[in-house]
Amino acid sequence: MIHIKNMYFSYGQSSYILKNLNFSIQDGSYISILGENGSGKSTFIKLLLNLLIPTSGHIENTFTRTAYVPQRFESLNTQFPITIEEILTCYQKARHIPGKKIIDDSLSLVKMQDYKKALVGTLSGGQCQKIFIARALMGNPDLLILDEPSNGVDIKSQNEIYQLIKNLNQEKKITVICVEHNLKAAIKNSTLLYHIAQGVGHICNPQNYIREYLIENTGVENYVSI
Amino acid sequence: MFQYNFMQNAFMIAILISILCPLIGMFLVLKRYSMMGDTLSHASFAGVAAGLMVHIHPILSAFCLTSIFGVLIEILRRHFKNYAELILVVILSLSVGIAITLISSGLVHANIDSFLFGSILTVTREDFYIVLLLSILSLIIISRLYHSLMFMIFDEEGAKISGINIKFINYTFAVLVAATISVSIRIVGILVISSLIALPIATALQLRKGFKTTLLFGILFSFIDIISGITISYWIDAAPGGVIAIMSVFVLAFVLFFQNHHFPFNIHLLNFKNMAKINNMTANEKRDSDGRRKFRIQSIFKPAWHQKYQTTKFTFETSQSEQRTINSGYSISKSAPRR
Repeated sequence: MIHIKNMYFSYGQSSYILKNLNFSIQDGSYISILGENGSGKSTFIKLLLNLLIPTSGHIENTFTRTAYVPQRFESLNTQFPITIEEILTCYQKARHIPGKKIIDDSLSLVKMQDYKKALVGTLSGGQCQKIFIARALMGNPDLLILDEPSNGVDIKSQNEIYQLIKNLNQEKKITVICVEHNLKAAIKNSTLLYHIAQGVGHICNPQNYIREYLIENTGVENYVSI
Repeated sequence: MFQYNFMQNAFMIAILISILCPLIGMFLVLKRYSMMGDTLSHASFAGVAAGLMVHIHPILSAFCLTSIFGVLIEILRRHFKNYAELILVVILSLSVGIAITLISSGLVHANIDSFLFGSILTVTREDFYIVLLLSILSLIIISRLYHSLMFMIFDEEGAKISGINIKFINYTFAVLVAATISVSIRIVGILVISSLIALPIATALQLRKGFKTTLLFGILFSFIDIISGITISYWIDAAPGGVIAIMSVFVLAFVLFFQNHHFPFNIHLLNFKNMAKINNMTANEKRDSDGRRKFRIQSIFKPAWHQKYQTTKFTFETSQSEQRTINSGYSISKSAPRR
């Protein structure tokens, strides 16, 4: 469980990027974090990952094995000479995860076992994302944080990835926090949406969010079937 | 030529350098920091000049000053986050400034040319022992940090989240670069050391292999460069640094040329197994009228110039993990490129 209480954050002396966040994440939930570019979503994730420290307020995190799947495709160097097996081995060594078959097992979970010896640059966007999910699953995490998992991925692969994340959430009871621009996927999969706008966050349930979103953007309140 | 002690020493040092330089170079090149080698080699120039001035062994003094400058680069890098290359210019200017001032003021009473261009004749057994000690220490540290370094260079944020101490590794690595440069200046020379750090890796990268294999090929190319360079420099009586640099570029050009042309030893075959696996899983797989599976691999498997038909048999795993052997003559000869 994560409890965030009266949390403020700013970089240095600049104005607050996140203001007075109060939020609880229950075990086993699937939370999508929505918001426009520059709204503070990535900063929020970095705070959850302990890469940044809140300016005031506090975060209480009871999850012990947090895994992170970064937003990947723009920064990934496709010429980097590294095989999938080597990517996973690095992670295994860094996290001191025991087990000789752990790499094969995690690749099997995402159905990518045939790509163990492939170079990272030869994979498509969707395959690449699956590999990073497989990497995150190696330490048997209890919290999985994903940053825009559908970014740069075709529709078919998007469906596969979201199905995989949903299965992990429902069958393995892994708590999922997902930064999203994909509204459809967020509403379809999440148990809760957390919307951050100009540093202020509020919780909304998926169906209400559609209504609010429609009113805000079109002025029409209408039911949309997803 | 091996009857001479200096040649024995030179070759023993050369073997150590041919392992160390690509090991460090692999991480530097992939970090997009190849010019750090050049900057620190100039720092070692100042170290050699200082060592000769105060009568300390020049390799040791070069190691000390290069380590200090290496750590200084890492410290300054945090202040000039978006202008990392600017720091290299600052340190390079400072190093060359110190070296030229010491030499031109007449405080150094020794021949510094052998350090600038490399020299076989002046290599002593004492040099070898110092190089051996620094090399063993460096190899132990690299083997301990190998996976952390690889992770950090591929995905720095991920490495940080996974608990890798990025700062410690960066500082340690700076000292390792310093050690590698210090041990190499005797043979290769200050002016061309960066060629031995970057070029064998640049050559190995053309083969498009995994990290470990690229590193091993880098060591192999480095070995070829340095051994052929020293041998040729012995016979033509030239400074080894220059010949090694020329050989490095020549080997790179050789691999680049034959990577894109037909050649008796088909370099493309090195990638064959993985590519076949990938093709097997994608839309490139087709079935013919008899229901037999065919794989589109003509773009990878180029016939050698002296071959009319591919008679090579190759094996790869299918998605069901079964082993299949395909006679390439059947499926490839139709789609072999025209000549």
